[in-house]
Amino acid sequence: MRARIVIGGLLVSAGILAVGVESTVTQLSATTSLVQPLAGAAPSSGGTGTEGTSGTAGAAPSSSPSSSDTSGSSPAATTGLTDGTYTGTAVSTRYGTVQVQVTISGGTFGDVTALHLTDDDGRSVQISARAAPVLAQEAVAAQSASIDTVSGATYTSDGYLQSLQSALDQAR
Amino acid sequence: MTHVFRAMGTVVSVLVDGGAADTATLDAVEAVFDDLDREFSRWRPDSPASRIADGRLSLLRSSDAHRECYAEAVRWRADTAGAFTPHRPDGTVDLAGTIKAAATEAAGDVLDATGHERWCLNAGGDILTRGGTPAHPWNVALADPDHPQHVLRVVSLHGARRAVATSGTSQRGEHVWRTDPESTYRQVTVIADDLMTADVLATAVLAGGPATRSLAERGWPVEIVTVDRTSEPACLSGP
Repeated sequence: MRARIVIGGLLVSAGILAVGVESTVTQLSATTSLVQPLAGAAPSSGGTGTEGTSGTAGAAPSSSPSSSDTSGSSPAATTGLTDGTYTGTAVSTRYGTVQVQVTISGGTFGDVTALHLTDDDGRSVQISARAAPVLAQEAVAAQSASIDTVSGATYTSDGYLQSLQSALDQAR
Repeated sequence: MTHVFRAMGTVVSVLVDGGAADTATLDAVEAVFDDLDREFSRWRPDSPASRIADGRLSLLRSSDAHRECYAEAVRWRADTAGAFTPHRPDGTVDLAGTIKAAATEAAGDVLDATGHERWCLNAGGDILTRGGTPAHPWNVALADPDHPQHVLRVVSLHGARRAVATSGTSQRGEHVWRTDPESTYRQVTVIADDLMTADVLATAVLAGGPATRSLAERGWPVEIVTVDRTSEPACLSGP
């Protein structure tokens, strides 16, 4: 039996943010504008995770106020990107503050070094660039709310008894 | 059906899909942890690890397994520029930082050898899986350090992406010796193909802070999720 866990607003909001930011990254290659896609991505993330974001970039153009690049695979030579490292303006969203830093090298879009989230507690969560595609899937996971196991700081035998893992183990 | 047992001061959960593992297999899994604990635990006064620490046994005269484990830990120290170390501040050897991952990997070998194609091992919050697919991944929730019952994020593991390890201060306080003077992070999760890499790098980034994080992101194909300390409640993470 698969345990079902009701996940609070934090997870849902974080999941949508991850999708939003990945969308931002996709748009960036076409627009070089960090601020605008970010601002555009934020409102699109309203709601409760039911807008069908699948973690693909497909959600981006429909919600973007900027020009969408329908080809999606423009050669680097036509992007007009100037080499350098760009830090996006920190954009405040209903879910917290979002900020992205990217590196453009050889005219092509390179690493996103970090995106910066500050949640309601004023706590900051940083996610590495390569984590974005993985974490984007969490929107899907949040909807199905299906969790198999929990990773956290190592608990003692006693700490286990109060852990979510313990609840999961008992549920199946 | 989840099989749960105590080992190495924590709790291990074994989840096998497609028919529960038989008793012999689960016994073998438990034996893997128990054997390594007997050899490497500093909590057991007469373990080789304890005898090495207090000078009763020379590391050079210890078992092949012990010396190989030490050598691997020292390699990790070099690879992480010292952020991960198998030595306590007093200079004695403590291999706890790698031995739980080694035990979990070995336990996974037991499950593989007995023909199980889809399983999930959770050793005190460090995860190793087998058999996740894009359609049917292993969904791993990352614990919220402020709210143990809440979920920070969910990571889906499938294919070669099999491991998640988290180091933090929320459960046992400051058991990691930091080299990052700012103590930037209080929880670090690393997602990797193998658990040893995930576990060591999570510890290293927690200890070494943003500089080690950059090193890890450049040097290994991993994903890293960190929670920093900016608004750490005073009641959390004691000494």
